Formats: sequence, C-alpha cells, structure tokens
Amino acid sequence: MDFGKIFSVSLIYATFRSATPIIYAALCAAITQQADILNIGTEGIMLTGAFAAVAVSYLTGSWLLGVIVAMIAGLIMAMIMAVGHIRYKAEICAIGMGINLFALAITKFLLNSALGKSGTFSEPGIIAIPRVSLPFLAKVPFLKEIFDNWCITEWFVIVLIILVWFVFYKTVWGLRLRAVGQFPMAAQTAGINVNSMKYRAIAISGLIGGLAGAHLSLGYSKMFTENMTNARGFMGVAAMYFGGAHPILTAAGCLVFGLTDSIGARLQAYGVPSQLVLLMPYVVTIATLAVSMASKMAREKKKKSALAKA
Amino acid sequence: MNVAVKSIQKILLTMLLALAIGALFILFIGENPLEAYGALLRGAFNGKLKIGTTLASFTPLLLTSCAFAVAAKAGAFNVGVEGEVFLGGITAAYIGINWTFLPAPVLLIVCFLGAMTVAALWALIPAVLKAYYRVSEVCVTILMNSVALYITSYLVSGPMSAGVANAQSLPVTVNLPQFMKPSSVNAGLFIALITVVFMIWVLNKTTFGYKVKTVGTNPSHAEYVGISPKKIFIQSMMLSGALGGMAGCIEVLGVHGYFLNNFAAGLGSNGMLASLIVKNNLVFAPFMSFFLAVLKSGAMGMQQSTGVPKSIVDTITAVFIIVATMELLFQFKDKKNKKEKSK
Amino acid sequence: MSEYVIEMKDIVKSFGNVHAVRNGQFTLKKGEIHSLIGENGAGKSTMMKLLYGMYPIDDGSIRIHGDHIPSISPKIAIEKGIGMVHQEFMLVNELTVLENIILGFEPRHGITIDFDKARKTVEQYINQYGMDIQLGKKINQISVGEAQRVEIIKTLTRGANVIILDEPTAVLTPQETKQLFVILQNLRKDGKSLVFISHKLNEVMEISDRISVMRQGNYIGSVSKEETSPAELAKMMIGREVFLNIEKTQTKPGEKVLEVKDVWVSGEKEISKIRGVSLDVRAGEIVGIAGIDGNGQSELIEAIAGLRQVEKGSVLLDGKELGGLSPKQIRKAGLSHIPEDRNTRGLNRSMSIKENLIAVQVGEAPFCKGVVRDDKETMEYAKQLSEVFDIRPRDPEISTQSLSGGNAQKVVVAREVSIGGKLLVASQPTRGVDIGAIESIRKILQEVKAKGMGVLLVSADLEEILSLSDRIVVMHEGRITGRLKAEEANEDNLGLLMMGGTASAKERGSTT
Repeated sequence: MDFGKIFSVSLIYATFRSATPIIYAALCAAITQQADILNIGTEGIMLTGAFAAVAVSYLTGSWLLGVIVAMIAGLIMAMIMAVGHIRYKAEICAIGMGINLFALAITKFLLNSALGKSGTFSEPGIIAIPRVSLPFLAKVPFLKEIFDNWCITEWFVIVLIILVWFVFYKTVWGLRLRAVGQFPMAAQTAGINVNSMKYRAIAISGLIGGLAGAHLSLGYSKMFTENMTNARGFMGVAAMYFGGAHPILTAAGCLVFGLTDSIGARLQAYGVPSQLVLLMPYVVTIATLAVSMASKMAREKKKKSALAKA
Repeated sequence: MNVAVKSIQKILLTMLLALAIGALFILFIGENPLEAYGALLRGAFNGKLKIGTTLASFTPLLLTSCAFAVAAKAGAFNVGVEGEVFLGGITAAYIGINWTFLPAPVLLIVCFLGAMTVAALWALIPAVLKAYYRVSEVCVTILMNSVALYITSYLVSGPMSAGVANAQSLPVTVNLPQFMKPSSVNAGLFIALITVVFMIWVLNKTTFGYKVKTVGTNPSHAEYVGISPKKIFIQSMMLSGALGGMAGCIEVLGVHGYFLNNFAAGLGSNGMLASLIVKNNLVFAPFMSFFLAVLKSGAMGMQQSTGVPKSIVDTITAVFIIVATMELLFQFKDKKNKKEKSK
Repeated sequence: MSEYVIEMKDIVKSFGNVHAVRNGQFTLKKGEIHSLIGENGAGKSTMMKLLYGMYPIDDGSIRIHGDHIPSISPKIAIEKGIGMVHQEFMLVNELTVLENIILGFEPRHGITIDFDKARKTVEQYINQYGMDIQLGKKINQISVGEAQRVEIIKTLTRGANVIILDEPTAVLTPQETKQLFVILQNLRKDGKSLVFISHKLNEVMEISDRISVMRQGNYIGSVSKEETSPAELAKMMIGREVFLNIEKTQTKPGEKVLEVKDVWVSGEKEISKIRGVSLDVRAGEIVGIAGIDGNGQSELIEAIAGLRQVEKGSVLLDGKELGGLSPKQIRKAGLSHIPEDRNTRGLNRSMSIKENLIAVQVGEAPFCKGVVRDDKETMEYAKQLSEVFDIRPRDPEISTQSLSGGNAQKVVVAREVSIGGKLLVASQPTRGVDIGAIESIRKILQEVKAKGMGVLLVSADLEEILSLSDRIVVMHEGRITGRLKAEEANEDNLGLLMMGGTASAKERGSTT
C-alpha cells in the first residue's frame, strides 16, 4: 500500500468535495435545531431537492432553474413537516421519517412516470452546476490542485457557513431563535410569536436542504439515482449533533466524513472489498458521535461537580 | 372502550385520506384510480398464489412492526429494525449451513436463537449509546442499517457465497415448511403470530411490561420509584432487536432457503411505518401490517394490469404515515369543548 | 375615561376539565398597589396570565386604560404598558442577563443587535432604581434574588406602567422581601400601578393599598388595607376557620436513622453545589431544612435518594452506607421520598391513580405473582389508600392527568407513607396545594413521626418549617449556616441564616 498515493495533496480537495453535501445537510439541520426541532426529515428534503434539480435541469436546460426549483421543493417538504408538527402536533421523528419515506417513494414514482426511467437517470441533457477556474491560481501549483475547478455550490457552502454563523449569533432574529429553542415560554412572554419563528426556521431549513440535494445531483455528480442521498442527510444530522448546532464546528465534523469517504475510495484500489470501504464513513460517523457526546457529558459533569474549583 | 373506537375511527379516516391523495397521484399520470385500486385488491387476493404471497409479505411485517412498537413503548425510536433483520438472517444462514452436527429440529431452534441473539446484540450498541451517552438512537440506528447491509452483502459476495451470479449464500439445511405453494408463505407465519400475542401479554400483564411503559412515558419518575431507566431501555431495545432477528430468520429459512443479498430491504421501514400509523399500539399494529402487506403484494398486480407503477404504493403509505402522525387532525369530530390549545 | 387602569369583568377560563376561573373580577387604580390573594388553585395567577395575554379568555371583557381589548397577546400587553414578573422566571439560562433583558425589544443596527446601545439603555434603568444587576453574567450564574431584579428591569425597559408580580416573595428571605418592598414603593412613587399576587397574608397587609380575594375560581370581594386584618382575609380566602398550626406532638427521638457525613455533591448551579454538609435525623423526630430554593436542598435530597452521585463523604441509613447504591436499593434500605416535583418525579401523569400507588412495589408480592401482575390486589390496595388519604375522585382507575394539585400530591404522599420504612424525606410537600390538602399532609407528617419514623423535611415555607420541625438546619449556597432547636428559632434568625449571615455563637453552638 503506497501511503503517498493515498495521502496526497489531492486528498484535501477530495475530502472537501465529499464533505460538501453533508455540510449543506448539517446546516439544514442546525437551523431547526436552534429552535429545538430535530430535523430528521433532512434526508428526504435533500433527496427531493436532488431529483427536482436534475429533472428541471434536464427539461429546461438551465442549472440555475434546477437549483431554484430544488430549493422550492425542499421548502414544500419542510412546510409539510412544519404544519404537521406545529399545527397538528405530530411527533417530529415520526413525521420526519414519514417525509423521508415519502421522498423516496415520490422521487421513484416521478422518475418512473414523468421521466420514464428506473434506477438511474443520467442523460447528457442534464446541465450541471458550472465549475470555476480562477486564473490567478493557475500560477501556483499547490493551490491549484486544491482550489481549482470548484463548482459554484462548493464555493457557496463556505459563504453559507459564515452567513449562518452570523445570523445565529449576531442578528436579532438569531437571538430570538435561540431563545425559542432554549425556553419558548420566555420568548413568548417577551412578545415573540414562537410558532411563527418555528415555521420560519423550518422553511429556511427546507430551502437549504433543497440546495443540498441540488448540489448532490448537479454539483457533486451529474445524475439522479434512487436513494442517492444514501443516509448522507443523517450524517449531516449527526454532524449537527457533535457541532452542537454551531455552524463552524458542525462543518468541521463533516470534514471528518469527507476524509473517511475519500480515503476509503482510494483504499478500494488496493483490493479492499467495496462493501467494507463503503461502510467506513458510517462507522466513523457513529464513533465520532459517540465520542463527542461522551466528552460533552464528561465536560458537563465536571462543570457541575462540587469538587471543581469554584 | 370508547377510546379504542375513536382510535379506529381516526385510523380509518386517515386511511381514506391517504388513499384519496394516492388517487390524485394516479390521476396525475393519467390513470383511473378506481381501476388501479381494484387491480391492487385483485393482485393481493385473487387466487391462492396471490393470497399466499400476501400472507408471506405479512409475516415479517408482523414481527418488524411489533419490534418497533416494543422499543417505542420504552421511548426508543428503533429505526434499526431493518439492520436487525439482516443480521438475524445472516446468522440463521450461517448456523443453518454450517452447524449440521446438530439434529434437524434442534438446528432449527438454534437458528432462531442465534438469529435473535445476534440481532439483540446489534441493537445493544445504539441502546447503550443512548442510555449512557445520550446519543440519538434515531441517527445511530439508521447509520447502522447501512453498515448491516454492507456487512451481509460482503459476506454473501465473499466468504459465504454460493458461487453463483446472484449474491447469495449456500442453501440452509433446515427449512420452515411452506404450506401454500407455490407462494412462499410458511410456518413462520404462525410463529410470528404467536410471538406477537405473547408480546402483547408481556407488555400488559407482567411487571416488565409495567416498567417498560413507565420508562417510556416518564423516565425521571421511573428512576425515582426504583426502576432503572437505562436498564429497561436497553432491555427493550434488545428485545426489539431479537424480534427483528426472528423475522430475518423466518425469511431465510422459510421464504428463500438461503440468504439473498438485500432481501430485507423495506421490511424494517414498512414495519416501522405500520407501527407509527397506529401510534405504536401493539394490538392494532398487526392489522396495519396486514394492510401494508396487501398494498405491497397487490402493487405488482396493479403495475401489470394498469399503467400505474409499484412506487405509487410506497407513496400512499408514506402519505398515510405523514397524515397519521398529525395528532390533532380529525379532532373536530370530538366534543368541541375539549379542543383547548392551552395547557 | 375610566378611573381604572385595568378592568377585568366576568372572566371565565377553563383548561379542559379544570375550571381555573369561574367568575373573575379585578380592577386596578393608577398608582396603587393592589394585592390579589387566594390559596393555591384559587385562580389568581390565571387571572393575571389572562391579562398578560398568555391565554385567551373564554368569556368576559378586559379594559386597559379604558379601552376594550378583545384579544390580548403578550406583545399587545407589553405595548399597552403591562409587564409581568412570573413566579417561574422567564429567563433563558444560556443567554446573558443583558440578552435576556432586551429579548424581543432588541436595539437594532439594521438586522444586527446594537449591544452598546442596549447596555446604555438598561444601565440607565438600573441606576435609576438602584438595583444590583450584572449584565455580562449568564443566567445560570446569578442568584435567585438577582434574577428577580432582572425580571423587574425587563418590565421597566419595555415601558411598563402596570407591573404584575406573581408570588415574588416565595423565593426570598424575609430580609430580601424588605428590600423588594422598598423597590415596589419607589415604583409606586414613580406612578406605576402594581398587582401583587400572594398567599402570605402578613406581607399583603404590609404592602397593599387594596386587597382582592379569590376562592376556587370566584371573585369574593375587595377591601382596603385599613378595613381588614390577616384573620379576616384568611376567612375570605378559605371560607372557614383555618387550623394550620397543629399542636406539635412530643416524642422522644430514638436512634439515628440518617447520618449525612461531610458530603460533597454536584450542583446545577454554582451556588447549589454541596460542599461539606453534615446532618442527622433520629427516629421519631422531624428535622427541617430551611433555605431559599436553589441553595442545594434539591441536590442534597437527590444524593440521599440515590438520584445523584455523592462525590465525597458518606450517607448512612440506619447504619448502612448508601454510597453507590441504586435508588431501588436505597428504598429497600428503608427510604421513602416525597419529591419536590410531583409532576416529573412523583407521578407518572399518563397513568392511573392505582398504577401510581403501586409504582414502587410493582415487582413485589402481593402486587405480582412471579412476573405476572396481580390486578385484583393492586385494585384493593388502591381503593384502601384512596379512602384513608381522601383522594378525590375516589376511582383508582382514572388517570392522574386531571387531578388537582392537592389530590395529586395526596397520591404521592399516600404511596410513600404507606410503604413504611425508616426515613421519610419530604421535599416541599405542600407546594402548590390547596389549604385542605395542606392541613392533611402536615397532619400525616406528624403521624409518621409519632410512629417512629425519622422525617427530613425540606421547605422554602418558613412557617411550615417552624410549625413542623423539632430541629432546624439552615442551608445557604450548599452549606449549612446554622442549626437550631425549634424553640430557639424564629423568622428573623432563620431569615438571617438563609441569607448566609452568621447566627449568634449561642445559636450556632446548639447541638446538631
């Protein structure tokens, strides 16, 4: 096994590339999490966005329209969850799983009936999200390998991380959102409409989730496969957990998966069976979750301990 | 009793709504919903083969919905039933293929015990993570499903492979007799039914059942009265896993005769769906499982005789669950005074 | 223009089966301090929550500054100049004091928060009323008294001219109460109108101009302070004579049933961490722990019951070391426990009365035969207890969900007292409970003591501590600040100790 071939500079971009869809998913989940709503439906929202993006891109020839419709599709799925959970008191995990299964079914159904295909949809007519080649990078070989040829949504995810961080901790809306998530009654007695905040949080989450899917099918790849999210939405939720819904920490967590994914792909070249490689990211996610929750508990225990210095 | 009647009423209304929405989808693709639903029913019931297939679909769902419900009673959201089915199946296959030194009836029992034990241990992992480290079992079990799929897939493509083009294991040496050939419904149906009845009894009449219900509704109170929430949570998850493992064992020994790659796809999630729709009620879950089995086995027939694809059934089921989770829907039929939006 | 700032007429409000307010009337004049009194469950708190727009009224009308307001929300109430200091503070733990104060009314710089402007504005009010508040601390780091001041500042920065205070003195020492009253007098001088909800008649007599009484959801009447007395008010509140101060039964205490030796326990807040507490309880006596809620009493009780780890030191029950034992094992060793929170700990509200009554003994005979539960025995036992402890309604099959505070508490008390054992820990046993239930529960505690059990009583209600305890221990910030015999104790010296002040050498030198 040539470690040089595995751990090369191109691994950095490969990690980021793998991580990006998960970062989008994690941000989707983080927004609702600040309002104390666990968005288990992230997977379904993402899958719906992925399908919408490909279908619209193929049918209209415009990737931008595909992305926009994907975001709207994500919004619609999220609003179903919002209405069900807030107005009709559905348990969030139950309706979230319902949305996931619905997304699986409806995308399969529309793939069959509207696009006439089954399994995978990969036509040349699909317009992918364009890639950007920055001219000044061409001179610097090291940076070129890492930063060249990123698609727009990969650049945008960095912008989004900063944007979300800013909204959470610097804006009025962010403060109210966090109050709603931590002590809704306190927010209510301050005159804040708690339900309205929750609806808005879920709506924005839906938009980002749709974008996550669009990136997956038009940026990361250039096709739609049944169940192409393949639990990446859940990895995003897991990352959200160990980032504590803080955008920057969460994004860092996603890079861990990206790394495992990329290393795994390279290991396959050395004869490691594909299934064992494929399960690595999942195992790493679970392990990371376990470790981060355990250390969180340990920190809390220490803080509350009477033996700690006052 | 009034509560039970109201619950059934609500479920039926929800079912109608889901079927209505499904009809809209069918219209959208230019087909006739009544024809489609008719074809669906015929596909499920018309003839011995069809009925047998429906019952064969019903068997694993009986157990997986019960598995999910049992875990839910303790407050656990065990999406990992599917993974437990896979692992139960692979264990049953391994024992059934290799432990031929045991006489056949014993081997059969050991297959079941092995499947249930391994599946229970698989469920132990997310259970411990949740009980001791507060890790969301929803996330972990979903991720572990993928892991289970890949592990078993690897095993039947590699070490346990039968060497044929299809990824499957060697045939097992014991079987559950099928009684309605050529459909694959087998003696496992009765094992499943008895098990489910037993579970209902356990949860309602034993002290363990009381403890599970207490932990599931108020773990803080449970701890205070001397019931260990962590222990009960873990035990319930393991029990849930064991039930999933049993389902896997029955599929391998009764339906296929060997471990077929990815055979359990959807069994766990459909069981979970059935249970969620009936609010994890162990008595209603079997009926809902039967309904879903009808939908599943009728879908093929519907796809063949009309232009409606199978996936519409999955869509209807998903809509069903979404609507069913909405607690306050259809509450207008209740006494108007009771509807208070404040605590 | 009406002379009244607030007018509430013919108010009706129900929550499901519970009729919180049947006939509510209330008026408030400008610049007055108007007390609204009644026992627990009388509807006074609900009336004010309706005024503040937290729930919609079922019937009746509300006028603010003469204008009829058909539907209120907290936002509208605040706009109209109403502020409320709730019994349970509406403060977000993870946010700072400043963030909590400005929440909902944040000074803006576009879409971002202008923290500088916020600080300046708030500091103005703090200085004007001379309140001691630190803006940078997080809520989980400040004391209860400070939290209450934050709640008051919140109302002032939002421009309140009507301020409702819901049981504000429940969490204060007698001395802090005096400080609060000074603040209230200043507010009144400034032209603010105040509503003071309480059930402490002496305080009400001291601070009010007018007093309105409610009983069981009904408005009984209003009097001005000069025209009435605590005894009169009590009679209006209850409708009959009240015998709260029962004759203390004299017993001879026996062996030590509980020994807490230099125990260190973790705490939710810095001031509630237990750092070296020792006390003991003997058979046949009631030891009362006095102290403001949140000074470690909850943590100490949890440690004794096995619900929280003892980090250092030891707890002995009848000579047996409890460290490391599970709650179940501790109960088996002879502990019964009436918890301070009957809704999360004490009861499983989703289950029936009978299921709650046997919760501790469900795995033992005669309530089960092997693994199978015995429903008949359970029912018998439940019926028996319902009779003896006067639990209403009598039917053990009904869910505890809709029980009143008093009856719910009686279920808990019935269960814990009937198990028997050596030590009964009772934490805030009469909180949120109607007078009738308070009477019976206090009587039961005396009976338990007479039967030879040791009783450890924790209560924030000084009157309760004084009337029930044989010996009193005072806690402040996780430590014991004083130990007294009941005869030596009174509101003043206890109040001082509760604030952390040192008692005189004589008082401190008393036997533990």
